[in-house]
Amino acid sequence: MNKIWLLARRELRERIGSGGFLFLSISGPILILLFGYLLFTYGGEGKQHWNVLIADPTGIMENKILAKEDVRISYSFADGYIEMEEFRDAKQFQNFDALVEINEKVLSNKTAFVFFRTKPSVRMQTTLQFQVERRIEEVMIKRFTKLSVREFRKIKQPLNVAFRDVNDPFDEASDMRAWAGFFFGLVIFIFILLFGMTILRSISSEKSNRIVEVLLSTVNPRELLAAKLIGIGLSAFIQFAIWVCVTVLGLYFMRAYMFPDMFDPSNSLLLRDSGSLVEYNEYLDLVFNRLQLSVILPFFLLFFVGGYLFYGALFAAVGASTGSENDGQQFVIPIILFLSSSVFAAYFCLSNPESQLSAWAHYLPFTSPASAMVKLFQGYAPGEGYKIWISLLILYISAVLALLLAARIYKNGILQFGHRLKLSHILKWFSRS
Amino acid sequence: MLEIKEIYKSFNRNVALDDISFQVSEGEILGLLGPNGAGKTTLIRTINRIIEPDGGTIRLNGDLLSERHLSMMGYLPEERGLYKNMTVYEHAALLGRLRGMTKNEVNEKINFWLEKFEIVEWKNKRIEELSKGMAQKIQFICTVLHDPKLLIMDEPLSGFDPLNVELIIHELKELRKEGKTILLSTHNMRSVEEICDRVVLIHRSRKILEGSVSEIRYSHKKGIYGVRFKGNMIAFVNALWTGFELVEKEILSDDRFEVRLLMRGDNTFDDLLKTLIGQVRIEAAWEVLPSMQDIFVELVTDRKEANDE
Repeated sequence: MNKIWLLARRELRERIGSGGFLFLSISGPILILLFGYLLFTYGGEGKQHWNVLIADPTGIMENKILAKEDVRISYSFADGYIEMEEFRDAKQFQNFDALVEINEKVLSNKTAFVFFRTKPSVRMQTTLQFQVERRIEEVMIKRFTKLSVREFRKIKQPLNVAFRDVNDPFDEASDMRAWAGFFFGLVIFIFILLFGMTILRSISSEKSNRIVEVLLSTVNPRELLAAKLIGIGLSAFIQFAIWVCVTVLGLYFMRAYMFPDMFDPSNSLLLRDSGSLVEYNEYLDLVFNRLQLSVILPFFLLFFVGGYLFYGALFAAVGASTGSENDGQQFVIPIILFLSSSVFAAYFCLSNPESQLSAWAHYLPFTSPASAMVKLFQGYAPGEGYKIWISLLILYISAVLALLLAARIYKNGILQFGHRLKLSHILKWFSRS
Repeated sequence: MLEIKEIYKSFNRNVALDDISFQVSEGEILGLLGPNGAGKTTLIRTINRIIEPDGGTIRLNGDLLSERHLSMMGYLPEERGLYKNMTVYEHAALLGRLRGMTKNEVNEKINFWLEKFEIVEWKNKRIEELSKGMAQKIQFICTVLHDPKLLIMDEPLSGFDPLNVELIIHELKELRKEGKTILLSTHNMRSVEEICDRVVLIHRSRKILEGSVSEIRYSHKKGIYGVRFKGNMIAFVNALWTGFELVEKEILSDDRFEVRLLMRGDNTFDDLLKTLIGQVRIEAAWEVLPSMQDIFVELVTDRKEANDE
């Protein structure tokens, strides 16, 4: 064990000491944070500016809505009735993105309809709703109370009423969460690909510079393979830990200094004294409120380790079989294709969570590291939580089998030099005891 | 010290080692000779437990060779490499630790060998900064660093310039004096004659010769004698008459010659001297033993011809 650790430590030092490691450690989380920032800032937006026509035949709104103009919405007023079909088809209305219908019953039934051409973003919806609602509120204050608008708003207190599904209290089945699962699956894919290729390169490099024979006179091939996988795996783990730490710190910074309003409970009714609007951003809510990282991270790590061992063993087997450093590319391609299929399968699970193929992808070791993450985020039906454990069990059994296969090929192929790798070589070395 | 008995190894249908047996005594340098592809490297890898034999046994100090013996062994493979991005110290320390040394022992021994080879300033150099010869020296140091009782070296002199060949030969002799046992595979026959106590010759997977260097050379002598004399060459040749055959001659000066003579019939060295005395002035006369190079070429060529027939 001591020898394995000595070799693993050497491998770890070499990886950590390389410029690429530092670059990836910094650039990875920065890219994630940048992506997150863009989502938080613009994620909820579709079209940036809307022209809205308000049909107010009874003149309730008195052709005004805001004290000052909003940069995102321009309002126009029509004093007659406009049918939905007319708004949709008539030439003169084509410049408008939405029609707000304020009929004479609005003060009693508190309902206004908005007809749109393309679905507005959540942000746009809340803005529009907020502005129309405030104008109607002003009208109602004027008509039904003796209070000034200011006095009314002073006594009006916000109350946040949160709705929860009894079967899915954390809204686990939402698409947004599944996308987060896909993101985690993608991270597993990226790490396995990067560090799997590192295993391959490292082994074929040790072969080509012949150091491997000196090492094999002190440790057996299985120990050498184990040290390689542990050393590179640890470097992957450290890299991932750096990513997590930097990303969490960055998110904390964003929450505290860039989006503080989003987490102020008094903003829950989207109202403040100043009259400005605090918009809801579902990505922000997802990342900061709805992801249960304490549950997700352990499973993520289990699938990450399992996937790394499974694919790492295959990369190692090819690396040990190569005749030179540049040999074996044709055998790497199938592994990369299988690995890439895990991402496609995960995407398929995202779109078709209940399909038979998704179920297979969730269990097959080639695809489960990414697909199971999507499924985990989508949520299992009550009583079906055991499925993720079955998926893990299959992955780890497959990883052990792949390691045994790799160890055999590694043992027999590691001292073969100068040949051009063929499938027959791999089969021969596998069949040899 | 090392006992190799009936080792057999094949790769698919190709027999790499066929019934190889020999022993290496403690404090002995044994030369493992053979043409390329004879099976030397396979045998060396087998002794180092890199390859498992299909049959036969290897014993070290009477015990079957096992993993616990690895720390007693030092191995310098023919195709040797180093981690290019490590420093000399880091690389040597890694291999020393893998052979069971403590950190303190590693430090002490690295300093000792670097000082001995007068290369202390290389300690913190990265391997990639070293020339090929420098790297070879580091490889030698890494092999002997943990003070192994048995050294197995595959072509330890290849790649060295003549000065460093002398240095390594000197070190090998020093190690023998310290009681180390050395198994040496080489094609450098001069070094075999100079430092090997015994040799084993492997050809086409089989052992075809074993013995001490002097015994082998003596047993392969052809009855050729060398004579260096001053005088007339015609008179010398006339004196030989039919009892001796002139095989080779070298003119040293106008009247000085060195010749090789083959005895005919029952003639002896004494008869030769009696024949020549009075005809020329003999400066030196000796029995010519074949070099290991000659014996190697002869044996390998004979076998090849026999097999071809």
